[in-house]
Amino acid sequence: MSVLEVRNLNVQYHTEQAICQAVRGVSFSVEKGEIAGIVGESGSGKSTAMRAVMGLLKSNARVTADEIRVSGESPRPGRNIAMIFQDSLSCLNPSVRIGRQIAETVRVREGCTWREAKKRALELLDLVGIRQPRIRMRQYPFELSGGMRQRVVSAIALACRPDLIIADEPTTALDAAVQAQILLLLRRIVRETGTSLLLVSHDLGVIASMCGSVYVMHSGEIVESGCAEDIFYAPREEYTRKLLESAAGKVPDMRRSRSKGRNRTNAGEDGNRNESADGRARTGEEKILVSLENVTREYDSHEGVRDISLTLEEGETYALVGESGSGKTTLARILSGILKPDGGSVLYRGREAAERERTGKIQMVFQDPAASLNPCLTAGQTLEEALRAADKSGEGRETIKKKSSHEKRQIWREKASVMLEQVGLSEEDMGKYPGSFSGGQRQRIAIARALINGPELLICDEALSSLDAVTGSRILELLLRFQRERGISILFISHDLHTVRQVSSRVGVLYGGRLVESGRTKEVCSDPWHPYTRQLLEAVPEADPVRARKIRASHVQEQDRGEKKAGRGCPFAGQCGYAMDCCFEETPGNYSFGGRMVSCFLYSQEHSGRRGEGYTMTSQI
Amino acid sequence: MRETVCQFIRKDRQAAAGCIILGVWILLAVLVPLFWPFSYSEQNAQIQNQSMSLVHWFGTDKFGRDLFARVWFGAGISLLIGMTSALLNGVIGILYGAVSGYLGRGTDLVMMRIADVVCSIPSMLYVILLTLVMGAGVKSMILGLCVAGWADMARITRGEIIRLKGTDFACAARMEGISPVRILFRHLLPNAAGPVLVNLIFLIPQGIFTEAFLSFLGVGIPAPAASLGTIIQEARSQMLLYPYQMVCPLLVLCVMMLALNMIGTALEKKVKA
Amino acid sequence: MLRYTWKRLLTGLLALFVLVCVTFFLVRLMPGSPFQRGAVSEQVVEAIEQEYGLDRPLTEQFAVYLGNLLRGDLGVSYEDPGTRVTDIIARTWPVTATLGILVLAAAILVGTALGILMAVSRRKAVREVISAGGMLAAGIPSFAAAILLLLVFSVRLKWFPASGLLSPAHYVLPVTALALYPTAVIARMTGNTLAAEMEKEYVLFARAKGLGTGRIIFTHALKNAWRPVLNYVGPASAYLLTGSFVVESIFTIPGMGREFVGSITNRDYTLIMGLTVFMGTVVILVNLITDLLGAYLDPASRRAYRRADR
Repeated sequence: MSVLEVRNLNVQYHTEQAICQAVRGVSFSVEKGEIAGIVGESGSGKSTAMRAVMGLLKSNARVTADEIRVSGESPRPGRNIAMIFQDSLSCLNPSVRIGRQIAETVRVREGCTWREAKKRALELLDLVGIRQPRIRMRQYPFELSGGMRQRVVSAIALACRPDLIIADEPTTALDAAVQAQILLLLRRIVRETGTSLLLVSHDLGVIASMCGSVYVMHSGEIVESGCAEDIFYAPREEYTRKLLESAAGKVPDMRRSRSKGRNRTNAGEDGNRNESADGRARTGEEKILVSLENVTREYDSHEGVRDISLTLEEGETYALVGESGSGKTTLARILSGILKPDGGSVLYRGREAAERERTGKIQMVFQDPAASLNPCLTAGQTLEEALRAADKSGEGRETIKKKSSHEKRQIWREKASVMLEQVGLSEEDMGKYPGSFSGGQRQRIAIARALINGPELLICDEALSSLDAVTGSRILELLLRFQRERGISILFISHDLHTVRQVSSRVGVLYGGRLVESGRTKEVCSDPWHPYTRQLLEAVPEADPVRARKIRASHVQEQDRGEKKAGRGCPFAGQCGYAMDCCFEETPGNYSFGGRMVSCFLYSQEHSGRRGEGYTMTSQI
Repeated sequence: MRETVCQFIRKDRQAAAGCIILGVWILLAVLVPLFWPFSYSEQNAQIQNQSMSLVHWFGTDKFGRDLFARVWFGAGISLLIGMTSALLNGVIGILYGAVSGYLGRGTDLVMMRIADVVCSIPSMLYVILLTLVMGAGVKSMILGLCVAGWADMARITRGEIIRLKGTDFACAARMEGISPVRILFRHLLPNAAGPVLVNLIFLIPQGIFTEAFLSFLGVGIPAPAASLGTIIQEARSQMLLYPYQMVCPLLVLCVMMLALNMIGTALEKKVKA
Repeated sequence: MLRYTWKRLLTGLLALFVLVCVTFFLVRLMPGSPFQRGAVSEQVVEAIEQEYGLDRPLTEQFAVYLGNLLRGDLGVSYEDPGTRVTDIIARTWPVTATLGILVLAAAILVGTALGILMAVSRRKAVREVISAGGMLAAGIPSFAAAILLLLVFSVRLKWFPASGLLSPAHYVLPVTALALYPTAVIARMTGNTLAAEMEKEYVLFARAKGLGTGRIIFTHALKNAWRPVLNYVGPASAYLLTGSFVVESIFTIPGMGREFVGSITNRDYTLIMGLTVFMGTVVILVNLITDLLGAYLDPASRRAYRRADR
């Protein structure tokens, strides 16, 4: 008998304006002890369907179904069915201690005393792999890391002793390495406790690595279902195929066409001649646009950056990879001049440029298009503001300068509408406010704003990560087209290694505020030198069930050793399998080999022995 | 997201009702003193303490003054004090808070400490002391309300500006090289309009409240001019004999407050959503 | 926590100093002398003023006053030279404080209950009635409410006594009159914040783990919903503890508010100043306590302070 049986589930939202059918006629089932998956893009109705099963939808939603059964009974949250949410920070009460939040669940489920419930909570924390559970019990959610919080949420789900756990995007808010740990934990829970798991995700890799049977959902309907191998290796539906393609990163390969067109970047792109002389030879022929030298900016609480040196050349695409909190955004803000570094210097075209000279030359496209556009300005006004600023600072064209303000405004209007058309919007959109655009359209406006004054460097800070796969790849195409046409440099900040591999020529890997490795993308991705880079590459599950099931997680004792000596030593030492004593005591220097830089003692002379002349460094891991 | 005031009022029944009542009240407060056959200060010994009639709609008081004229004249004074003080407090508070929040760091610290000190003294005391020093009157009343009334507004604006300053669009604006003053007034403040406006609306009844209190205490508007508070105070001595003398101005006052509260609450709901 | 406490304490002391300055100079600027009344001759007034030190320069008077203040001496009432200001405060403050605490308790209990009802009731009628009632209650000034209550329940119905504070029944009307406004505000704020909290994900998660609505409200949502309400309750309680000028005089309650009104009409300098300084102190103190309480209730800031202390 299957644990979950849902037949013909429909969900309608009633709003004042209209009735919206979010889920139509969906049926699925989960067998005992099985991990089933539902995959679909954001907005496909998968979360709504799950909440409908749990009975958690608000009163404006009408749920109808021929059957919703959990082990033959109706679903009772906290009894026979439990749920794990995406954002562990917002689903735990910020002002209640962890221990209490778990224990109260136990108490409600078992009807036991507080003392017994506390004991059980300790056991549960131990079960989900949290060390020192007694200390953790007394802490508040914000004091734990994202991975630990998700473990706590899993412990709460387990406290219900359910027949089925629904995990709704359980790892989306986490970084690749932590994601792998949580996925392994979920797998272990299923094995050890015998509950079934229904895993909902937009990430085909996650689904591939975990699930036996898979349902593909699209705009409220299940378009395809079957066992994982069938779906991934022999998709029947057009939509499934499209999803798989975008997951495999089938973005039109822009690098080749670009190097053909301009023939200025990435001479060694196709693996030819001057690969060995890379670093120095290139700086000769390419002009360095921006360089950071030992830039440091520290905070007491959140992400800072320490001692970072890197250079950006004209017209190249440089990618920065790292988990959240690794300092990517801080670095981007220092580069753009919004933040001032505590130490080190930012050189613009070889000299320490005053902020005034730099403004307008460096622009940014932000992660969240909803927050990066001023809700009180129309699309046209947003662009005109940018043009006005350029005009004021004397960077506008001389011809415009002499004209009266009315004429100026006219010219701005025209420029703005031309720009909007270039990013794929129409002139009518000029008068609309950001609220009436979709996420993808807003990101287009943000790009238009960033490019309208002809910047030399465009920073894309996770510019695609809030968009669904199809929209994301369109925006990426747009960005790369502009780069090709205008020859601007792009600093591409992302956690998505697929995309990074596709678009960038060089890549830097950030961890704990330090640049642990940098080099040419192809080399770094195929042959990682730093242990962290390797972990990052291995932790990303591919959309291929056979390969993805082999995901390995590194040492589970997240933040245990590292925590004690915070501030000293290599930031990665606590989780590194190669850590030596010196890794905890000293900070490794930056060791350069040609165009490759790595910050790890494995590559230092002192710790790996003296080398002769002409020694060629290879990966030590 | 964005709606003009008219659309908002048309959509929200509560706001519409509030605005209509308030409009009628303002109209009456302006028109009655101009066109009513009796003046608010003319005493007539022959018609003392008359009850409501067709000639004197609200009756007359112990000096034979027509209450209808007095009540609406008083309502006008109350509204004038409430609105002027709210407007002044609003402008001062918004500017102070915006500057403090935008500059941040040391400036912010000093400015907010000053605001803390000013508003830790109850505003009622300021008004009382000021009316005693400058003599009772509309001017000293408004001044007294403005000594400390702006602090709340400044705090709310500051909070909003600090929140908005960290947003991506503010960063983008700075990167484009837009001047700080323009960023503050063109990009940030319009986004803070919601909470600021709600507070502004609620400042009006607060001002009216305090004024009525003080007039009731006898430190408000000097005779023969009257505000609703003074009229109620005058009627108090004979409230057992002629309750209508007190009930009429009370009702006018309460309905006025209700209208203002309705507008404020509706706006608050709208901003929160 | 310690550093924050010191900072707030310092601000409080500064506020107190400003208050003393402002009241002192404003009171001295007041036209008319406390002794200039009716048929008193010029010489007599001058003699009395000399005796009280009113003929000396203002700054000197101020210094003397500050010195006395530091010793806890608020001076002697001009109107009634036999009694010290501190005695008057000692006599009236307990009355006022009892009333204030009762009002506060009533407002918090009833307001929170109504707020919860407004936030979670499924019936639209219940929500509308509470919301409308709240608006009405917030629109009636407390003196108007006091008078109406007096007229209806004391004069007409004769259910409750009209003046004094002799038995528990005496408290009913003044407490109701004073509690009306804060209750309405607390109900509105609790309703709003609680409704917002109930939309949050952690409430959804609590449902998913099988908790009932009542448990969710009382162990989870209310804790977070009440923090903004505290920002209102602080200043409001300060206001109540210093006495309501009007309600006390309407119900002839021998409290501090009434004393204050009397001192103003009598131009009793020392009494005005003494009462103002005392009330200001109470207000500043209560605000300080609520600020610290608010900071303590937020676990994030509490932990941050602890770490900083170490």
